[in-house]
Amino acid sequence: MADAHIKVFDTRREAVAALHELQREGVPDSSITVLSSEPLHLETLHPPKTRIAGFSIAGGVLGAALAVLLTVLTSRRVGLVTGGMPIVSPWAFGIVVFELTALGAILTALGRMILEARLLRRRPLTGQEDAVAKGKVVIAIERAE
Amino acid sequence: MLELEWIASKHAGRVRSQDARAPKYTMADKRPSDSKINSDLLAPVNHPGWGWYATVVVSGLVVLAAVGALGYQFTLGLGVWGINRPVFWALDITNFVFWIGISHAGTLISAILRVTGAEWRRPVTRCAEAITVFALMIGAMFPIIHLGRPWFFYWLVPYPNERGLWPNFRSPLAWDFFAINTYLLGSIIYLYLPLIPDLALLRDKSRGALRRIYGVFSLGWRGTQLQWDRLERAVRVMAVVIIPVAVSVHTIVSWDFAMTIRPMWHSTMFGPYFVAGAIFSGIAALILAMAIIRRVFHLEEYLRPIHFNNLGLLLLTMSLIWFYFTFGEYLTSWYGNEPEEMAVFNSKISGPYAPLFWGTVVCCFAIPAPMLAIKRFRTIKGTMIASALVVIGMWFERFLIIVPTLTHPRFTFNWGSYKPTWVELTLTAGTFGYFVLLYAIFTRLFPIIAVWEYKEGLPLGEHGEPTIVGTPDVEYESA
Repeated sequence: MADAHIKVFDTRREAVAALHELQREGVPDSSITVLSSEPLHLETLHPPKTRIAGFSIAGGVLGAALAVLLTVLTSRRVGLVTGGMPIVSPWAFGIVVFELTALGAILTALGRMILEARLLRRRPLTGQEDAVAKGKVVIAIERAE
Repeated sequence: MLELEWIASKHAGRVRSQDARAPKYTMADKRPSDSKINSDLLAPVNHPGWGWYATVVVSGLVVLAAVGALGYQFTLGLGVWGINRPVFWALDITNFVFWIGISHAGTLISAILRVTGAEWRRPVTRCAEAITVFALMIGAMFPIIHLGRPWFFYWLVPYPNERGLWPNFRSPLAWDFFAINTYLLGSIIYLYLPLIPDLALLRDKSRGALRRIYGVFSLGWRGTQLQWDRLERAVRVMAVVIIPVAVSVHTIVSWDFAMTIRPMWHSTMFGPYFVAGAIFSGIAALILAMAIIRRVFHLEEYLRPIHFNNLGLLLLTMSLIWFYFTFGEYLTSWYGNEPEEMAVFNSKISGPYAPLFWGTVVCCFAIPAPMLAIKRFRTIKGTMIASALVVIGMWFERFLIIVPTLTHPRFTFNWGSYKPTWVELTLTAGTFGYFVLLYAIFTRLFPIIAVWEYKEGLPLGEHGEPTIVGTPDVEYESA
C-alpha cells in the first residue's frame, strides 16, 4: 500500500462517484482497494469467488472421519467388556461424529476466512486507519510499475 | 430537503433492485453521523460510568463469597453439600442444566436471526452471543466441581489415556463433553468473527499498549471490501453450522437423564422439551441483559422498544411451547399411572415439591403468557418483569426435573430427601454473580453492540442524506 495513490472521501457518495470515474478511465478492479468502516456492498468491485463454504464442508467430512477413527479404533483397541453388546455402537458413536463434524466445519471455515481475507499478514497498515475509523472511505490505487 | 426527497423518490425502486443484501429502508430515514454512532457505542468501553462500577463491585462480592464456599468445600470435601444417597445430583446439576439452557440465548438466537435476515437483530446479536459464551463457561464448571476433587480432573485427559480409564463413548456424559466443547468453541468463534472489525476500530481509536493488544486481536483488519465480503460469508456459514450444534447440546444434556430408566426421566420427548426450555430461558436472560445494558450505558437510541417487543413475542411463543411440552410430559405420566412414575408425579403436584412446581407454572406461563400477549404490557418494563419471572421459573423447573426423581427411585425403601446447604446456595448465587461480572468485564473491553453491523443496517446516506451506493454519480448532481 506504500506505493499507491490514496484518496480519502468524506462520504460514500463521493467515493462511489470516484470509483465509477476510475473504471471509466480503465483502471482495473484488481488495482483498486476500497477501505471502509462498514461493508459497502459495492456493485462495481466484485471480490474473487470464495471457497469458504466448500472448505467448511470438507472440514466437516474430515472431522467426521477423525471422530469415526477416535471412537471405533479406541473402542476396538481397548477391548471393552460390553456384556455381549457390540463394541462399536453406531447410534451412540454417531453423536460424537456429529459434534466433531460440526467442529471440523467451523474450524475450517474460520481458517479459510482468515486466508481469503488476507488477515494475519505482516504488513504495515495504510496509515489511513483513523480516517476509516471516522467513517470515511479510502480508495487506494496501486501504481503501475 | 425537497431536492433530496425528489432524488429519493426517483431512485427508491432502483436501490432495492440493485442490492438485494442491503437493508430495506425508506429513503426518508435519517442516518446519524458515524462519529455519533462510534461515540455512543464505544462509550461503555471508554467511559463506563458509576453504574458499571457498582455492578462490578456487587457481583464481585457475590463471586468472592462463592469462592469462599468453594474453598470450604475443597477443604472439607463434598460432605458439606446436602447431597446424600439417593440424591447424588442436586443443585450442582440443576445449575449445570440451567446455565447450559441460558446459553441458548445467544448463538442460537443470533444465528437464527442472521439466517432469516431479521434486520432488527443488529443491536441484539452481540449482547446475545456474549451470554452464550459466559453461560457455557459457568455451566461447564459444575461437572468438574462435582467431581469432588477437581484438581484431579487431569486424570480424565487425554481420552483415552494410559491411566486405565475406560473410554466409554456410549456415555451421555462423554457426549456432553463433545457437545459442550464444540458449542463453546463454535460460540467463541461466532462471537469473535463479527468482533474483528470492531477490534480494529478500537485499535485505531486507542493508544499505547491497548492499541497493540487490540491490534493483535484484530488480526490486521483494514476494512477492504474483500475482507468485508469474506467476513460476512464466514459468519453466514458459521450461523448455519452452529444452529444444529446448539440444538444438539441441550438435547444431549436432556439425554443425561432420559437415557436412564428413572421415573419421569425416561422420556422420548425430553430432548425437544429441554431445547424449548433452554431457548425460553435464554430469551428471558437476553431481554434482562439488554434492559440492564440499555439503562446502565444509556443506549436507549440503539436498544429500542421494538427490540423488546419482538423478543417479547418470541418469549410468548416459547412460553406457549414450554407449557405444551410440560403438559404433554405430565399428562403422559399421569395417564400411564405407573406407581413409580406416580410417586414422582404426586411429589411435584401435591407433595413436598408442589410449591416449586406451581411456582414454576405461575412464573413460566400463568403470568408471562397473558402479560406478553397484551400489546400494552409488551413494553420494556413489561418484558423485563416477564423475563425475570421466566428465569426464576426455569431454574425451579430444572430443580424439579432433577431432584424429585432422585428422591423417589423405583424401590420405595430407597427413598430419601434433599435439602441444600449454605455452601450449595452460595455457589448458586455465585454463578449469577460470576455471570454478571464476566458480562460487565466484556462490556468494558468490547462494544456490546456491533458498531459495523449497526451501521450496515442503517440507510447508506451520510447525515440523513439518501446516498445510493453503486449507481452512476451523475444522477446525484444537485441543480
